[in-house]
Amino acid sequence: MEVLNADGYRSDGRRQFELRSITIDLAQHGAADGTATIVHGLTKVFVSVLGPREAKLRSLTIHDRANVNVEVNVAAFSSGERRKRAKSDKRVLEMASAIKSTFETIIQTNLYPRSQIDIYIQIIEQDGGLLQACINGTTLALICAGIPLVDFACAVTCGVYANSPILDLTTLEENDIPNMTLAMLPKTGSVNLTAMESRLHVDRFGDLFEVALGAGRVIHEEMKLAILAKSRMLVAEMKTIGWGEKDLVD
Amino acid sequence: MISFSFFPLPPEPATIHESPQHSLHASHDMDIDLAHHFLHDSNLTLPGETLTSSHAYMRGHGTYVHNEEVIASVAGTIERVNKLVTVRALRARYNPEIGDLVVGRITEVQPRRWKVDANGRQDAVLMLSSVNLPGGVQRRKLESDELQMRNFFEEGDLLVAEVQAFFSDGAMSLHTRSLKYGKLRNGQLVSVSPALIRRLKSHFISLPCGVDLILGLNGYIWVSKHVKENEQEGEEGFDAEAVYSNQNDEIDMPTRSAISRVTNIIRVLASHFVPLSDTIILDAYEWAMEQDADVSEMLHQDNSFALISAVRGRK
Amino acid sequence: MPATSTISLSKAEKSYIQTGILSDPPFRADGRSLRAYRSVELETGVALLANGSARVSIGREGINSGGGTEVIAASKLEVEDLNEDGVEGGRIVCTVSCSPAAYPHLTSNALDELQEDISTILHQTLAHHSLHPNNLGILPGKKSWLLHLDLIVLSDAGNVFDAIFMSARAALWDTRVPRTRRITYRARKDHAEGQYHIDADENFSGFDTRRLAKATDFELSDYWDEGEVLDGRERWPVCVTLNVISQTHYLDATLQEEAATLLRLLLVYSFPPNSPPSLCGMRLVGGEDSALPDIKDFIKEGEQYAQELFISLDAKLREEDLRRKQKAYTKFARSR
Repeated sequence: MEVLNADGYRSDGRRQFELRSITIDLAQHGAADGTATIVHGLTKVFVSVLGPREAKLRSLTIHDRANVNVEVNVAAFSSGERRKRAKSDKRVLEMASAIKSTFETIIQTNLYPRSQIDIYIQIIEQDGGLLQACINGTTLALICAGIPLVDFACAVTCGVYANSPILDLTTLEENDIPNMTLAMLPKTGSVNLTAMESRLHVDRFGDLFEVALGAGRVIHEEMKLAILAKSRMLVAEMKTIGWGEKDLVD
Repeated sequence: MISFSFFPLPPEPATIHESPQHSLHASHDMDIDLAHHFLHDSNLTLPGETLTSSHAYMRGHGTYVHNEEVIASVAGTIERVNKLVTVRALRARYNPEIGDLVVGRITEVQPRRWKVDANGRQDAVLMLSSVNLPGGVQRRKLESDELQMRNFFEEGDLLVAEVQAFFSDGAMSLHTRSLKYGKLRNGQLVSVSPALIRRLKSHFISLPCGVDLILGLNGYIWVSKHVKENEQEGEEGFDAEAVYSNQNDEIDMPTRSAISRVTNIIRVLASHFVPLSDTIILDAYEWAMEQDADVSEMLHQDNSFALISAVRGRK
Repeated sequence: MPATSTISLSKAEKSYIQTGILSDPPFRADGRSLRAYRSVELETGVALLANGSARVSIGREGINSGGGTEVIAASKLEVEDLNEDGVEGGRIVCTVSCSPAAYPHLTSNALDELQEDISTILHQTLAHHSLHPNNLGILPGKKSWLLHLDLIVLSDAGNVFDAIFMSARAALWDTRVPRTRRITYRARKDHAEGQYHIDADENFSGFDTRRLAKATDFELSDYWDEGEVLDGRERWPVCVTLNVISQTHYLDATLQEEAATLLRLLLVYSFPPNSPPSLCGMRLVGGEDSALPDIKDFIKEGEQYAQELFISLDAKLREEDLRRKQKAYTKFARSR
């Protein structure tokens, strides 16, 4: 497959550094403390966060911080070819553990000793950049649940084609070129996850990193806007009916 | 009786944010400007935003210190009291304080203690020594009490209690050593976000429609038939049978209907994120009675919007 | 069966609910009548990569409160070889998975059991031969379609079975089967052996088995065409769950009501056009030892409720077809 044609366009009409459109929906669902649906192009992920709450099993508690539990469920109809992935599927477990290690350092787990924070991820549609969507969706759902974070985690999938970086890959592109997913913390510009399944020449790494960090900042802005819009709506709702001062003691 | 409707569209452009296809460089600056505009006009902040210097201010809830800066860790409103900066998350689990009134549900009976779900970061603890026992308030605890703990509270039971202290891991300890506290009967529970319930002078509210409300600060609200003061208390006759009874009293139809109406009003207000107080609930109740609306109809979208705008109009 | 109750209630709460339902006139905790459903939202075409899909929610309380029972269903077609797993005329397999977010208190073993159980109920009912669509065959004796119907329970606030069957019916209604045409390779007698001629026959009916032996392969007739609807899509059934407290029963129970109700009777009915309704599934959940003397009455009344549900759902599905046609049209018009 030709990843980039002679005019510099990709198979879906994007430029090399162009991200797919991002849609974020932060409406509450079910009994979760926070939920978020994020769409990157044709990849759609729904994340529910429960907690911090009493641990289901006492054996899972950690005496000085919260236990972060991540479960990923891939809908059988989410990909082009139907595929039922069991919960014990190796790829699914790997992804869950990458997400867990990303967020264990970002969530202030030390504030909640012996508690449990559950992150349940449901993949509804997939067209590349799955880990990216899962991490971004989880950041949003955690913020909606009011769980304290050191910073946002902003993830980007990137690859190398013809010696130059290319961003936000589709499934077709992922199958074709070496790629990696990177999660960055915009406050410090530090990176706390790089996940790679293919080989990448070490000389390409520097360039790729720089472009990916820039893209991470763009995604950060998108997520910030969505959270702020929701916060603003909630504040406005709370303010419209004024509290009588007499009602309040503190 | 069933009718189908469409999924509600999210309010524009609040929850769904669709951006045009953007290239890395072009849209970057503009987005930042927009975000800053947001930040300044409404006192809102986000995880990772620097609030101030840690030399001038002290960090409170919802913040942390890094590199001599006070940084927000939750999305919410910034509050400054003297030198203390806190960020109040717009929605979160219940964060207890000593003296808070909460409504909870027993999850487990353990030796000499009950575990209680109170919408917190972990289950609360109610010690056997923190409840009133039959045979007088001041009676000493007996070994036989331990053997019949389920006669007082068993799994699933609801109770109203006060936060007494915290354990070293942050779990709250409750007590029910007041005649106002104890097991709940004669009504139903409705739960809302704890953010919608602030500390009021009293969390026991009697509505004129014959309904009592207990607004638990943890977001659990008990809506029940009104019990007359003198039936409830009476220092002398602490009646264990009555206090730990699982039997409901007779509840007539108008009272039942009022309980349901109040419950539905609370659900409608909460779904619009309106903070709850006795006056607001009462205003809404009066409006609903004027409209002569069917109790269950209130939950329908159109009616719920009408209720909200009516309540807003009254303020 | 593990689905009976996932939350715990106090004795006083249970008795409050039961007394309300048994009193005359009956009164439910949210003021609904015994037969009234909470508000139901439905949308088709929610999964782009599926052949048909739908999302249903019952009793959701808006974007700030969440709540409600939510189910997504989607169908996907796969070609199967009759020499391997395939079945002449195609087959249907239904699988339900439950998100742990829907049952936050269940352990993962209990969750597995629950989804196994729901899957069995759905599969046994929908894969029955009396409901089987006629257009899942491709090449008689060689190839056929396997229709996977996958459901995800995203949240459960009571009455999950009605939601599951509603979303299953909606997804199957929405399903489009690609049009295929057969290709025959035949040696032409007037040429040297080994030379083949491909003959694509466009007017070949899928049910015509007379030329069966010759067709060896197939191709999709139109790439741009989304295909034809499943044959007999009006037949897909609906489920009504009767929640029984002594002599009284009610519909669309909330989670709290389910916890206060010992017996549930799932009744699944199909309403095929121009023929009498048929009961195509029944299941008792929970319950005391006492047999049900009134089961005949329940079945009769259940049919009436199911018919009402069926008629409303049918109207909604046609409305959805129209909405999406219009949406596709405006999108097309805009892009020009």
